[in-house]
Amino acid sequence: MQNHINVRQRFDGRMTLFQIMMAILLLLLFIRLVDLQLYEHEGLLLQANKNRINIVPVLPTRGIITDRNGIGLAINHISYKIQVIPERIENIDETLSTLQQLMQWPDSQLAHIRKRIDKARSDRPVLLADKLPWNEVAPITARLHHLSGVDVIAGTHRYYPYDALTSHVIGYLSLAGPKDLRAGYLRTENVGRSGLEKIYESTLHGKPGSQQEEIDAKGRRVAVLKQSPPEIGSDIKLSIDVELQRVASDALGKRTGAVVVMDVQSGELLTLLSQPGFNTNHFITGLEHEKWQSWLKDFRKPLLNRTTQAAYPPASTLKIVTGLAGLRHHMPLATGRTTCPGYLELDDRNLRCWRREGHNHVSLHKAIVRSCDVYFYELGDQLGMQRLTDEARLWGFGEQTGIILTPEARGTLPSPEQQLKSGKLRAWYRGETMITAIGQGLTTVTPLQMARFAAAIANGGEILAPTLLANSDPVLIRTVDVEPDHLLKTRRAMRDVIAEAKGTAHWSLNWAKWPIAGKTGTAQVVAMAQDDEEEADKAPELNRHKDHAWFMGYAPFDNPKIAFSVFVEHGGHGGSDAAPVAAAIVKHLAKQEAEQKLMQEKIMQNEAIKTEAPETL
Amino acid sequence: MNTLFKMDAILLFSLFSLAILGTFTLYAAVHHGDITIWQKQNLFWLLGIAVFITVCFVPLRMLGLMTWPLYLFALLCLLLIPLVGDVQMGARRWLNLGIVHLQPSELMKWALVILMAHWFASREPSNLINFSAAAAMAAIPAALIVIQPDLGTALVLLLAAASMLLASGIRWRWVLSALAASPVCLYLLWSNMHNYQKTRVISFLDPQSDPLGAGYHVIQSGIAIGSGGLFGKGFLEGTQARLHFLPEQHTDFIFAVLAEEGGLVAVLILLVLYAVLVSRILAIASHAHTRFGSLLCLGIASIFMLYIFVNIGMVSGMLPVVGVPLPFISYGGSALVTMLAALGIVMRVAIESRDKIPWQRPGSPLA
Repeated sequence: MQNHINVRQRFDGRMTLFQIMMAILLLLLFIRLVDLQLYEHEGLLLQANKNRINIVPVLPTRGIITDRNGIGLAINHISYKIQVIPERIENIDETLSTLQQLMQWPDSQLAHIRKRIDKARSDRPVLLADKLPWNEVAPITARLHHLSGVDVIAGTHRYYPYDALTSHVIGYLSLAGPKDLRAGYLRTENVGRSGLEKIYESTLHGKPGSQQEEIDAKGRRVAVLKQSPPEIGSDIKLSIDVELQRVASDALGKRTGAVVVMDVQSGELLTLLSQPGFNTNHFITGLEHEKWQSWLKDFRKPLLNRTTQAAYPPASTLKIVTGLAGLRHHMPLATGRTTCPGYLELDDRNLRCWRREGHNHVSLHKAIVRSCDVYFYELGDQLGMQRLTDEARLWGFGEQTGIILTPEARGTLPSPEQQLKSGKLRAWYRGETMITAIGQGLTTVTPLQMARFAAAIANGGEILAPTLLANSDPVLIRTVDVEPDHLLKTRRAMRDVIAEAKGTAHWSLNWAKWPIAGKTGTAQVVAMAQDDEEEADKAPELNRHKDHAWFMGYAPFDNPKIAFSVFVEHGGHGGSDAAPVAAAIVKHLAKQEAEQKLMQEKIMQNEAIKTEAPETL
Repeated sequence: MNTLFKMDAILLFSLFSLAILGTFTLYAAVHHGDITIWQKQNLFWLLGIAVFITVCFVPLRMLGLMTWPLYLFALLCLLLIPLVGDVQMGARRWLNLGIVHLQPSELMKWALVILMAHWFASREPSNLINFSAAAAMAAIPAALIVIQPDLGTALVLLLAAASMLLASGIRWRWVLSALAASPVCLYLLWSNMHNYQKTRVISFLDPQSDPLGAGYHVIQSGIAIGSGGLFGKGFLEGTQARLHFLPEQHTDFIFAVLAEEGGLVAVLILLVLYAVLVSRILAIASHAHTRFGSLLCLGIASIFMLYIFVNIGMVSGMLPVVGVPLPFISYGGSALVTMLAALGIVMRVAIESRDKIPWQRPGSPLA
């Protein structure tokens, strides 16, 4: 009996114990859940959102670049790219072999892709293929649900319709490298590498937007939650007239050289051509190493922008500077005459005039028209080196023009005093001053500087900053203090270079609609006998020793609109080889103007008919 | 028919509430995936209720007769597993009986509790022979389950057996000496554990050590529960569940779905329902008119309590990951049906004890 009561009591005791234990266990659970759901709630909610929300960048559309007439020079084509996020791939071998089947990749490309995926960060997209048309990616998009981690993204890629013709101005893009990534670019973005694409990168690029996507545990996109659209890059309208550039390029043909055409009032560049160019579209589709190497090794240096990055001896075109200096310093010879027997005797040697027969009596006017060397030897000798250099500097030589395309060469102006001081030069001979006076000395200039100089002659001495943007306000760097009478004399002489029957460019350019004023130049590369020049025409290897041909000037003579400089590397003679290029340019512009006039007249007529119409009814 | 009217209303109410909560939660867990799981579970509910009602009609005397056959049948199934069992997730736990996939360890828990309740109904536990016999009843199936290998279930089985011993009134000095021996047992256990079990324990102690491996479950369920907050993300709105970040979300980790979508409020409702259920079973144990009935109810209550604590404890990151279902919420036919059968037994105890005086209480026939 006592024992039975004991058993029951013990049982009741244990029952209480069980009730207490149950309460404790449930309370423990509750405390833990309060901790999780109230105290750790915010942090864990953040993690839950991090789990499911994937922020995908949306690339901006790059601004396009057009010429002055709105013709596209750098435009965007719609295309598709395939990328993968490695950590989201379920089975890499299966995924890649499916992609290979659909895309018909060769095994070598697959191996390359595999290597890139293995190297890449697992949470960042890796680009597998780019610039694909829709019909190539369509089969993949249909299977996307079975290809976790793979994404097909619509976008644009850069296309240069004129390719090599505008290569030095426009430049090119390529995929962001490590440096760009550090600067905040995304791995799939393109960055301007040269030309205006590089210089206006921040304007053209725009700002990437982003898209918040909801993804499931396998990384597949379930929904788009939020979008902040990208800021589209700004378009740029250039002052370049691509048709004119094409005309210049066609006129140069296969020759190496540079052509600059500048508006004499605004400083706008209508043409900035360096030939040969290079295929900018190659960079976009992924440039092969060999191609790049071949460009680097090409003796014609296609990557060099000859209009701004290279300086050449200006040859006889510099005689205009020498003439202006003579006038400025009231040298007797500038208003007088000398006699040219075909050479000038100096100490123990003769300085040759290009015309062996000589020019007989020569004034400044005749010396420019016929490009007499002897006259300028003497004028230079009278002026002295310092005045020659000072005059050249006034007209914008030896300094950067300030064009936005960098880097820019400044050219060289010989400065004997400095060089003597620094010990680079032991002595300066009279003959060197004389040679400098005809542009065959140490002076070098860029074709752009030359065009700007021509513009300054035409516009009354205004040195303008050349610009590549359409409708930009002219930036005046300085006005050269020059007497109008001196300029007039120079201009007339330049006109007669073409207009006079014995002018050095008469036979290639005498054409009346837009009278041209200009000056030829033939720069000796190495001392070469006249006979060898003819030989050089036959053998291209010898071509490298042929003279450079220059022609600079402006048109029309009486109402200057454009100034130009044409430089043909190893081209031969300024009058016969460079001047026809300028002729083609001026003809084109004259034709353009005539067409515009005709068009305007037609419009006027139409309007006149319209206003008359009611009366006839 | 009288029998049905004698059922315990509070127990029925809590079961009914849990059934509704479980059905909704399971729907939330599978609606974005395989909805047939939910439909199957609804059929299991119907089957389970039929079993529950049937068991209500089985007199406890008959159950007393069935204790040994039931236990031996479960033991036989456990023995058969290494020979013919199905392998799932690296362990042989299931027995294919044609139509039903039976998990013998699941059956064994209940069989053992019933057997021990019957064993101690008329025996003094603080007796070396009685105690040793009971220990062997528990140790043999536990050993068989460990080698499956299913450490969690074995531990639950041993804990259920321990609570039966405690309930039977074993003296405290026996308990203390058993506790003293436990470090040795733990060492033996650890040295016999499989590598995957060790990594589970380690990843429990430091879940961030292997976030995509063994710790992934716990991290993701922690995120799901915590991100639910006070009121939850709303029915079917749980992102962790909907986007499949939660592993095994319709079975062992279903609690995280409830906590994510219903928040602390839903969690509190669930815990209160469980508290009502378990305390009601304890109350029935207290008022049972035979000692067998009392011990049965205590054993069943402790299994429920173990399930609840181990499951929620593991999902919320308090305990290592052990394959234990959340009663009436998790998907799983055999677990649901056996649990409903067990509740049927409790209900039978309540029915038989209605209007009767508890055993050995003043006024009872034996007092």
